[in-house]
Amino acid sequence: MVSESVLIEKLNQRDQRAFHWLYDQYSPALYGVVLRIVRDEEQAQDLLQDIFIKIWKNLDAYDAQKGRLFTWMLNVARNTAIDALRSRKTQPASAIRTDEENVHIVDRQHNTEQPNPEHIGVKEVVSQLRPERRELIDLVYFNGYTHEEAAEALNMPLGTVKTRIRAALQELKQLFKS
Amino acid sequence: MNVTEYIASGILESYVMGAVSDQERREVDCLSSIYPEIKQELEQLSASLENYALLHSIEPPPQLKASLLQKLTFEEQEDRPEPIVRPMPVEPTSRPTFQVTWIAAAAVGLLLLTFSFFLVSRLNNEQQTVSSLQSTNSSLQTELRQLRDRQQRDEQVLALLRQPGTRTLELRGNEKAPNGDILLYWNPQNQQVAVEVRSLPSLQPDQQYQLWSLVNGKPIDAGVFDGGNAAPYLQRLNRPIGQADAFAITVEKRGGSPTPTLSTLLAMTPVGS
Repeated sequence: MVSESVLIEKLNQRDQRAFHWLYDQYSPALYGVVLRIVRDEEQAQDLLQDIFIKIWKNLDAYDAQKGRLFTWMLNVARNTAIDALRSRKTQPASAIRTDEENVHIVDRQHNTEQPNPEHIGVKEVVSQLRPERRELIDLVYFNGYTHEEAAEALNMPLGTVKTRIRAALQELKQLFKS
Repeated sequence: MNVTEYIASGILESYVMGAVSDQERREVDCLSSIYPEIKQELEQLSASLENYALLHSIEPPPQLKASLLQKLTFEEQEDRPEPIVRPMPVEPTSRPTFQVTWIAAAAVGLLLLTFSFFLVSRLNNEQQTVSSLQSTNSSLQTELRQLRDRQQRDEQVLALLRQPGTRTLELRGNEKAPNGDILLYWNPQNQQVAVEVRSLPSLQPDQQYQLWSLVNGKPIDAGVFDGGNAAPYLQRLNRPIGQADAFAITVEKRGGSPTPTLSTLLAMTPVGS
């Protein structure tokens, strides 16, 4: 395993091999996340390229003090994909665009699409998560819902959403610890 | 502030999920840099989400990498003259850090540059010192050699002079050698003669100076010696001279002549009493 600080140093020197390593190591995870968000293979592939270009260009903006490289890359990927999803959804309805509208469109999209094929590992871990917690993680993390949006989509009080997000992540933390 | 309470509030979970406002994000960034407990909890939560994301890994189509690399090389060349300083859309707060990193890098670079200049100038100084020491050393050695030579010479002269009975005579050049000046050490008791050439004209290679002692008007061969700069300082002549009324010097063929060539006489002095 390459040490992360060495990798970042090499990347900042625009070392091609370091980029190859970065891509080989992380592209499946980022592609999985992006595909899960946009649910369109062609768009996910375009976005994955955009994401790696963004990562490549903005490496200087990555601050190791604030978190690990992979977390940062995941955030870049997630935000790029969610932005793309939102702009795709809102374009036809731009004339009467409100946040509420937006949520419903995304929500509808989310509910009508077929779920992704899941790995055995996902099933194992996810089957240990309570369904309502998992749904919340997926809504917020993979669909970029705010607390308010999630509360409305799941028809529950805002306070409950916050409590459940905490509980879900704590459960996730315990699952990966063991 | 109560760290445990803050961790339990759920804001860290919302933070790692990306579901916080900009203001909340800044707050978490700030607090996690102050409280190690918050930072640790954040790291664990991020790691959990990383693992969760890894579980959803799907291999992208292989041709994607090639096409991406093409774009990267292309855009890299295009952008090279003007480095991109674009704020990350995902993390607006990272911009100051970006500048700080640059400033820090520049400072470190400057420091290294200064330090290497310092080292280079030190090296130059050292080299100058070494070469000046070397020249001093060689000039001292030359001086030492000269002193040693002179001492050896003076010892020889002193050894001659210490012998009881040694007389010192000076022969000055006539019009043929206006600057000629020779000191003659003669000891009638042990019959030794030595000359110290202070100044004499250089001769042809096949010529030598010859010293004559005059006894009752007759010249007696007292030995040959060399003149010029190459000649040794003190030359002992190998003819025993026990008696002399006067001494004379002529120029003869190398090895000396049985009788003096009077036309080449260039110095003469009486011995006196």
